[in-house]
Amino acid sequence: MDYFLNLINTIGIHTLLGLSAYVLLLTGQLSLAQAGFFAVGAYTAAILTVIFGWNILPAIGLGMLSTGSLAFLVGFPALRVRGLMLVVATLAFGEFVRMFFYNFEWRVIQEGVEVGPEGTMGFSEIRYFAEHGWTNWEVTSLIWVFVVIVMALIWWADQTRSGAVLRAVGEDELAAGTVGIDVMVTKVAAMTVGGVIAGLAGGLYAHQITMLDHHAFTVLLATFAIAYPILGGVSSVFGTLVAVIFIQGLLVEGLRFLGDWRMLLFGALIVVVMNVKPRGLFDSQMLRWIKNALRLRFSRGLS
Amino acid sequence: MLEVRALSKNFGGVKAVKELDLAVNAGDIFGVIGPNGSGKSTLVNLISGVFSATSGDILFQGQSLSRLSPHARVRMGVARTFQNIRLFPGLTVWQNLWVARNSAEDIRAEGVSYRWFRKGGPVKKEIDNMLEFSGLADKGDELASNLAFGEQRRLELARAAATKPRLLILDEPAAGMNQDEIRDLDWRIRQLRQQGMTIILIEHVMDLVMGITDRIAVLNFGSKIAEGEPAAIQENKSVQEAYLGQSKDD
Amino acid sequence: MDDFWFEFVEITQSIGDGFLFGSTYALIGIGFTLIFGAMGKLNIAYAATAMAGAYSSLAIFIFFDASLIIIFIVSAASAAILGYLVYLSCFRFIPVHNHLAAMMASVGGLFFIDEVIVHTTRGSPLSFPSMFAEAYFEVGPYGIRGDLLFVFVIGLISTGALLYVLFRTRLGLATRAVAQQDVAARLCGMSIHSTNSTTFAVAGLLGGIAGAMTAAAVGILSPVMMLPLTIKGLIVTVIGGLGSIPGAIIAGLFVGSFENVVMYVRGIDERDMYVVALLFVFLIFRPNGLFGKTITRD
Repeated sequence: MDYFLNLINTIGIHTLLGLSAYVLLLTGQLSLAQAGFFAVGAYTAAILTVIFGWNILPAIGLGMLSTGSLAFLVGFPALRVRGLMLVVATLAFGEFVRMFFYNFEWRVIQEGVEVGPEGTMGFSEIRYFAEHGWTNWEVTSLIWVFVVIVMALIWWADQTRSGAVLRAVGEDELAAGTVGIDVMVTKVAAMTVGGVIAGLAGGLYAHQITMLDHHAFTVLLATFAIAYPILGGVSSVFGTLVAVIFIQGLLVEGLRFLGDWRMLLFGALIVVVMNVKPRGLFDSQMLRWIKNALRLRFSRGLS
Repeated sequence: MLEVRALSKNFGGVKAVKELDLAVNAGDIFGVIGPNGSGKSTLVNLISGVFSATSGDILFQGQSLSRLSPHARVRMGVARTFQNIRLFPGLTVWQNLWVARNSAEDIRAEGVSYRWFRKGGPVKKEIDNMLEFSGLADKGDELASNLAFGEQRRLELARAAATKPRLLILDEPAAGMNQDEIRDLDWRIRQLRQQGMTIILIEHVMDLVMGITDRIAVLNFGSKIAEGEPAAIQENKSVQEAYLGQSKDD
Repeated sequence: MDDFWFEFVEITQSIGDGFLFGSTYALIGIGFTLIFGAMGKLNIAYAATAMAGAYSSLAIFIFFDASLIIIFIVSAASAAILGYLVYLSCFRFIPVHNHLAAMMASVGGLFFIDEVIVHTTRGSPLSFPSMFAEAYFEVGPYGIRGDLLFVFVIGLISTGALLYVLFRTRLGLATRAVAQQDVAARLCGMSIHSTNSTTFAVAGLLGGIAGAMTAAAVGILSPVMMLPLTIKGLIVTVIGGLGSIPGAIIAGLFVGSFENVVMYVRGIDERDMYVVALLFVFLIFRPNGLFGKTITRD
């Protein structure tokens, strides 16, 4: 059961991570920085609960604020350049964050014990949930409440003008500018929102996994983050969720018997999917097919 | 309304626009014609802000547009259409119009929340009216990429008008149209002028240009070779030569 | 006063050594920029193919005790073949305008190659024959390492050969034509795909040489080198300006010097962070890089 709950937790956190990249992908920007914001959110929230004794919600909240601000600042230089350069900039940023935490130390004595991040040794003893008597189910619920809220918010925003504006920028930046859309503001706003969501995911992750290690925040994680919305397509938030379930559930856990070869499969899978469905697994074509299929099923049921 | 002063644009060695001077009066329909390569499209791109000028200036209602980005120029009231339609293919017809509502007055009226405005109320009414005007009333939820060519052209025009411009530049809007469609376009342009827009019409289709414009400027190789009322332009020898080459008599 | 002089010598020595080593970055940067210039896309798997080439040559060395020349030839050849395979799997069949999908696919390729190497070598670093390591020239207070000098010379020769191919052969002409106007090129009867795949192969050749150079200069080959090499290569490409070969060369040498000085001053743990910071400085003040095609509204 614990193993199962862990999987559910991972899926939830990775969905948030994927959604943070999704928002950016709507504007046509492929960001490999989300793992970096994830890391900052994780360390910030953990430091607040462990070293400063904060309650978890405000800790995660401040984490989100800091990653949002960071994303806002990073956005300006990074988004002045074309999409491809953004990949390089975000890739570099992600690595920078990882290296930063590789070197980062903040040790504090609490009740006779040393706690806090310790550079290469990572940050262990993030025991908020245990110390406050949270059951595993409660932790899982907390994570998924946030997942549902974020998905609902993004879905709702997509129904408003903002969603259309984001997508317009993603479809044709030049035309968007020509009809009066401030493309730079739109892209930076998307980057900031993406940063906030990644910070949320990080804060939850830190407390769920109870220890942070710089190895977790590599380019691989950044690639997972962007792979989810690419695989899932940008037509709908549900695509990202399905992609996470597919990749995490099937590949990482279900194929455990492949051992370390599963990463090989992951790489090959990306190559294959990109060739077969360059607009993502769940593009508008697929969605319409699903809608029609469901409609058929229901009408048959009624008659 | 619009003044172009000694405008020049060089692309590497190519002088696409050379020391161009133009003046467009408010309420006019001003035509710009010229053979291919004469710099017409470059001119549109310069005025709308897609290109930045090598030298010279563009003044809109007395204010220089030089340092303004494309979207800032739209906020000031300058809009344009594209010769080879640049709709947002993945958005619906309705959404294409919706995202174009970026005029200064729309932003002021809807306040900070204008970005989050739901599909309803007076906004919905305005957009529905525009769809009606463009003959796209029943196509609101259709993806822009699924429209027929004529419909796409009308949407392109409507989208530019949705920004509530004072100056609207049409870049070869009649290209590829048949006679009926051109008549329809003629009517539409006149309607837009009646609504208070000044229009610059870049075109090749002579019937349309001669019939609808108040003044015409003729470009060749990036310079203005003639300007005047349609009748005068039609008689103008250098204009004829520019289009047809040297006449047989010379 | 003596201390200052000592520091000065140490720092300029670092710059010099870094400059020589920077030729490896220059080659990787050229490779990235070649592919970007030709197809407008980034091949994230490029540095991985370069290192895979180095690994192949190491294998040949271990099993057949190959000589110096053979090592470089094998590295270049296998990287070229791999480059072609990457083109086939990640770029050939993806719609031309879809930059992101192709790039994503190449990220998948990077992981794939990385995993294959990790599995084959069981993740442990292997020592790579260091060439001319014993050679050491003293010039005043400075010492010029033979292995670094050797690497630099190889870089010079390779770059010279590349420029010759690009500007004095039909193949190079074709590559440049496709890069500038692929529709027109196609209309002239040129096969885009064969030109592009050749570009990938040529870039691969260069990368294989660079990979072997890096391994020779450092003395080890380890899968953990792959990502930093990719990132630095990309940084060099961006700083030099996407699509510019002279830019990549200058940027590569510059980054090599820069990082070595940083390493002397701040240690190896912080070194790479400063290289990334350098990228961001450029992005803020000169997003086109040193010689990039200007990314203005035009």
